[in-house]
Amino acid sequence: MTTEIQATDIVGRGNDTGARLFRQWFEGLTAAANEGRGAAYVFVMGSLCELLRVFDFPIVFPEINSLQAAVRRVAAEYLNEAENYGYSPDICGYVKADVATQLRGGAHPMGKIPKPAIAIATNACNTYIKWGEIWERMYGMPLFTLDIPGSRGAGLASPPGGEDFERDRRYVAAQLEELIALCERVSGRKFDIDRLREHLGWANELNQGWQRVLELNRSTPAVFNALSDGTIYLGVANGFRGAPEGAAFFNDLVREMAHKAERGIGTPVDEKWRLIFVGVPCYPIFRRFSELFSDWGGVFVNSTYLWFASGGANLGFHYDLQRPLDSLAEGVLLGVRDAMDSMFFQTKALVQMVDDYGADGVVFHPIKSCRTVSTGLADTRRALMAQRDIPSLFVESDMMDKRVVSEAQMKNRIDAFFEGLAARRHQAAATPV
Amino acid sequence: MAYAAGVDVGSTQTKAVVVDAARTIVGRALIDTGANVMRAAETAFRQALTDGGVPEEEVEFVVGTGYGRYKVTFGNTQITEISCHARGAVQLFPRTRTVLDMGGQDTKAIRVQPTGEIVDFCMNDKCAAGTGRFLGAAAVALDLPLSELGPTALRGERAVKISTTCTVFAESEVLSWLGKGKKIEDILLGVHESIAARSIGLLRRVGIEAEVTFTGGVTRNQAMVDTLNKRLGLTVNVSEESHYIGALGAALFALDRIVSARAPAPAKGAA
Amino acid sequence: MTAATFPEWRGLPLDDIVMRCRELVEDTDFPTVRRWRDGGGKVVGHFQVYFPEEIAHAAGLLPFKVRGAPVEPTQADSRFGSYLCSIIKTSLELALSGRVQLDLFVTHPICDAARNLAGVWGRNVSYPCRILYLPQNPNSGFAARYLRDEYDRVRRLCAELAERDVTDDDLHRSIAVFNENRALLRRLYALKRERPWLLPVDEGYVLMAVGGLVPREEHNDLLRTVLPLLEARTLPRRDQIRVILEGGFCEQPPLDLLRAIARSCYVVDDDLLIGLRWLMEDVPQAGDPLQALAESYIDRSAHSPVQHDLRKPKDRMLLERLDQADAQAAILMAAKMCEPGLEELVVHTRALDSRGIRYFVSEFEENMTSFDSLEIQLETFVENLVFD
Repeated sequence: MTTEIQATDIVGRGNDTGARLFRQWFEGLTAAANEGRGAAYVFVMGSLCELLRVFDFPIVFPEINSLQAAVRRVAAEYLNEAENYGYSPDICGYVKADVATQLRGGAHPMGKIPKPAIAIATNACNTYIKWGEIWERMYGMPLFTLDIPGSRGAGLASPPGGEDFERDRRYVAAQLEELIALCERVSGRKFDIDRLREHLGWANELNQGWQRVLELNRSTPAVFNALSDGTIYLGVANGFRGAPEGAAFFNDLVREMAHKAERGIGTPVDEKWRLIFVGVPCYPIFRRFSELFSDWGGVFVNSTYLWFASGGANLGFHYDLQRPLDSLAEGVLLGVRDAMDSMFFQTKALVQMVDDYGADGVVFHPIKSCRTVSTGLADTRRALMAQRDIPSLFVESDMMDKRVVSEAQMKNRIDAFFEGLAARRHQAAATPV
Repeated sequence: MAYAAGVDVGSTQTKAVVVDAARTIVGRALIDTGANVMRAAETAFRQALTDGGVPEEEVEFVVGTGYGRYKVTFGNTQITEISCHARGAVQLFPRTRTVLDMGGQDTKAIRVQPTGEIVDFCMNDKCAAGTGRFLGAAAVALDLPLSELGPTALRGERAVKISTTCTVFAESEVLSWLGKGKKIEDILLGVHESIAARSIGLLRRVGIEAEVTFTGGVTRNQAMVDTLNKRLGLTVNVSEESHYIGALGAALFALDRIVSARAPAPAKGAA
Repeated sequence: MTAATFPEWRGLPLDDIVMRCRELVEDTDFPTVRRWRDGGGKVVGHFQVYFPEEIAHAAGLLPFKVRGAPVEPTQADSRFGSYLCSIIKTSLELALSGRVQLDLFVTHPICDAARNLAGVWGRNVSYPCRILYLPQNPNSGFAARYLRDEYDRVRRLCAELAERDVTDDDLHRSIAVFNENRALLRRLYALKRERPWLLPVDEGYVLMAVGGLVPREEHNDLLRTVLPLLEARTLPRRDQIRVILEGGFCEQPPLDLLRAIARSCYVVDDDLLIGLRWLMEDVPQAGDPLQALAESYIDRSAHSPVQHDLRKPKDRMLLERLDQADAQAAILMAAKMCEPGLEELVVHTRALDSRGIRYFVSEFEENMTSFDSLEIQLETFVENLVFD
């Protein structure tokens, strides 16, 4: 009952549990694949897991499968296979790694991936739709494109309750009805609104927990590294959205992070610099990439990745279980729209993040594969520099393709960035107040 | 008498500079890097010492820089060539606010504060277009020595538009223009324009602020200097010591360490 | 707005008209836009692929198709990173360099690069930059209603800009003008199909492309004048193979490249600037005009790699285009770094393989200046077909 015993149990629990949940998930997928059961293929920006779980679909996130292939160092062979099949070196690496996975009958380092019985793609990323078309042709399975109208311009996100918002929400709601009908056809199960309520309830806990965990990283020292630890939590936030395990995980994670924040327990890194990460991590050399920063005492305290790749779960949206379908439409619209805003109209949010988290610098990491995230980064950085005197680094690589990842070149730039940070801090200290 | 040294190990050439406490360059050396990077670093260092008549024991701190900086095993620390180039350029031209370093393999654009502190930097090291390598490819295609490229280009009147962005294809494009009857001088001028345009593209990313200091091996090429000046609408600073700017910056950082090691520790609680 | 923006072609013989059109299409200072503004008019720039131009037209604004240009993106380059298509950069360059002055810029998220345009432009220009969310789920029963509301939003934007109301009558009148334009363009393309020796692809291209640069009434005048002249042309009929050209839906291949292609084969159909010919039939002129436009978009439109519609799977659509144009082969192009274009190449090549139809694949860039290599490969391809 003593808190001392709990202290050793609680710190690091999230990472361990996260790894365990992942293994569990892929074991389930392997079983489904071996039984010939079709899965629902979904994406992180608008996965609709809350709804799909009602029909007991095994859930597959091809984006996560692909990044795992990179982390586990088999990306090169998968990319080669897809390129031999005809896909250009210049297109999204996630897509190609998945094509190779499909060509191999689902063989993947984490297990066996079942084929898709249905796929749901929002328009948050246009490549999702082209990707889904590949499965349409390969398997003759239905691709449902869930159209989420985003903000029509910077700062123009229509507020809930207003007419403009309602028009968009109605469109989303109508599509959800159509999606339900499709799910019934494909799964052979009837839609059960009470089950939807259950899954929405668990998603509520997850959303709330995620929002709180992100907030807790305002502490000094930061309680988790947004780049390395954050990716694990993000994986659970997606893979277990709407599932009881996801809710439990985030409840526990909040407790762990709050515990650490209260006691000033930080990450294993001796925190000298608090950084913001903008973009998608460099998965082909994931650990090394993180070390390039942590070797200098750089800890990532937040990342736009944890916003958009959580499908907007960072908003902490609370589904109203009294009106589940209406509320689901509202939540999906807000979440996906916000995910898009955090990629395209992010200057204000970044400035806010810098201020809220006491950041010393911002690292922009555009990647070859992902034009959605990367196209606007150079200009966003200019806009940020015009608004805030905060050092930033612009370093390009990829999240899948090791051929365009040069550790030596990245280290050069990263080292120069930290040299600059140190010089700045030295200068500030030398200047009499 | 204390001395500091900087050793800049590049992919093609290694440079070393020894400075005295007054920041004056007393010795310098430039050799080809070759296959054995560690040996090149040592050799360059010794040659710089000999050049300055400085005994090794009197060098109190050595900073390694350049891609091979971790091979300067006798050095005391490593600092990136981005920081070193900025520092060296500001030392030679105190009103430098932007640095363009055109090397054999990569090109860097750096914007600096008056103190030499870096505001922003951008590098092109993905491909050789916009670097000295592009000139090398043109030289091969035209069967001209590198040293002739600049003077020949200076005689050009109407630059040919070189559209290829790939150094590998530069050769065939140059030959193709020759085949179409274009003058060698105009083609070379076009090659220079193309490199200048790419480099200025890099500069624009960090923001161009006068004065601009041009560094690296290509600074000896007057045609390149002229082309840059014309396109930038200003006169870039060029120094005889261009090759050594990285090593100079490294040596100055080394000197900083010597100075701060000697300074009394600040009293606690001082503002 | 009453003075013509493009009077240069009037009264000239056919070949000279085509030359003037070519000069206009290649003019990177966009003189017609300038003249429109000088006359007191305002301009709505719209990116690829499709935009409901009738709505801007009904407000008395000039809808101007922003489609890049063969210019150096000296200023725009620093706003973007690597691995991007050229059109994204050169389009912004037009704005930053002052070659084109707009009053409103509207984009639709056709692809992952383009969806960033509203953000990037919005930070760099002084006029509003807005996103039109055309439905990516056109198969939804609600899509037409959603789109009608979205078009209403565009109407309000245009009305605000023009400082006047845009009534249903205004819209009907504009729809009539654009219906005529569509009919004329259909006739142009029918000529290409039926008697391709009378209309090489590069000439057909400039005659069509002018439409994105001038008020549609002027384009109608031009086409009405030119079509009978083309139909009466006496050019020798050569024994060239009939091909379709795919890949010009967004970034445009340079005119010289089209000319090079025309030297080897007859392009009997293509998707060049297909946004200007997106609606394939007349838009009904009765009832709610925005509803009519919305339904036309959803039910009676062409296809492209950047639109997903279960009724228009790309492999089938390609083969249909080939069959309807009675083509023997296909030239498949993708703009460099164009993700949807490059992905579609895989679909297209496989579809053609399944029918044993030969094709030539190549990447292009809008500001390519040397095509020697491409032309040789194309000639070789054509020779091989002929020898079969």
